[in-house]
Amino acid sequence: MISLFAIGEAGPIVHVAPHTLFTIGGWPITNSVFYGWICTIFICSVLIWVARRVKIKPVGGIVQFFEYGVEFVSNLVESAFDDKRKGRKYVPFFVVLFFFILLNNWLGLLPIVGEGFQAHGTPLFRPFTGDLNGTLAMGIITMGLVYSASIKESGGFLKYIRHFFVGSPLNPMYLLIGFIEMLTDLTRVLSLSLRLFLNVTIGDIVIAVFAYLGHIAAPITALPFTLLEFGVGALQAYIFVVLSVMYLAMAVNAHKEDHDLTEELVQETIGAKKVEATV
Amino acid sequence: MVVLADAVNTAIIGKGLMIGLGFIGPTIGMGIVGGNFLSAVGRNPEASKFIGQAFVFIGLIEVYGLLAFAATFFVK
Repeated sequence: MISLFAIGEAGPIVHVAPHTLFTIGGWPITNSVFYGWICTIFICSVLIWVARRVKIKPVGGIVQFFEYGVEFVSNLVESAFDDKRKGRKYVPFFVVLFFFILLNNWLGLLPIVGEGFQAHGTPLFRPFTGDLNGTLAMGIITMGLVYSASIKESGGFLKYIRHFFVGSPLNPMYLLIGFIEMLTDLTRVLSLSLRLFLNVTIGDIVIAVFAYLGHIAAPITALPFTLLEFGVGALQAYIFVVLSVMYLAMAVNAHKEDHDLTEELVQETIGAKKVEATV
Repeated sequence: MVVLADAVNTAIIGKGLMIGLGFIGPTIGMGIVGGNFLSAVGRNPEASKFIGQAFVFIGLIEVYGLLAFAATFFVK
């Protein structure tokens, strides 16, 4: 967001909360949701356009970028699971999540987004990921998928609850640790959404501050931080996906039976080697 | 103390302390992450494939600095 017009007398204009543009049936529609709709239509149309162009023989240009992203995320998801076939099921969700966050972050850096482009005194557009409600919705949906999938994979609610406890829940120490584990599990929604929201919003604020400091030369002073925000946006999309995959994989992998080498197995292998050596 | 509070805008001192103290911790943490990553790569060059994990930890850390920065907007 190069805030070209954010030059005020008192300082840079900073809004942490989004503005209400209009209401539909009593529901306030804020500028972040409005821009989120536009971005969603854009992202859907771009992804559909790309999906029609993908061929076995590689196509250059923007299609290759999306192909690389899909491959990157699918490798990421599959390598996190012990059983690769289990991981393949969740690849489409995480690919969509990655591209949604990435393109929302990048579209939020356009010059039309922010304080510069106003209608009736309120900014018309605001990045969708720069609104706590939007990122909270993403976090709730992601963690909802993680919880439902891990309950399904572990085969029952009680078995899912069981994996929080390292040993027997009758041991008071393990009981306490298990409850603390559950509480930290619930804070993941908040930490996922707050991380994305704060990174995008504070990136916008930093750009606005440097555009204000630059005064007439605002584009020159704001450009390095806009480029930095491109990297931060990509990094945040990566981190969001990696963390949610990690949470899912931790819950799913925990229910595998341990295949540690017991003493019997070790003895067998040693014995087999001896037999081979003698034969 | 009443005189001091009248003479000095304590909100600005508070904001400065919040930003300064809030940025010390995460920057030290990022230094530790980066330094340990580099020492691991120096010892074992194959460990350079774990740069994604290093960035995940940087992402985990930086949110606390950003929280300190965001909290300054609520000090009046």
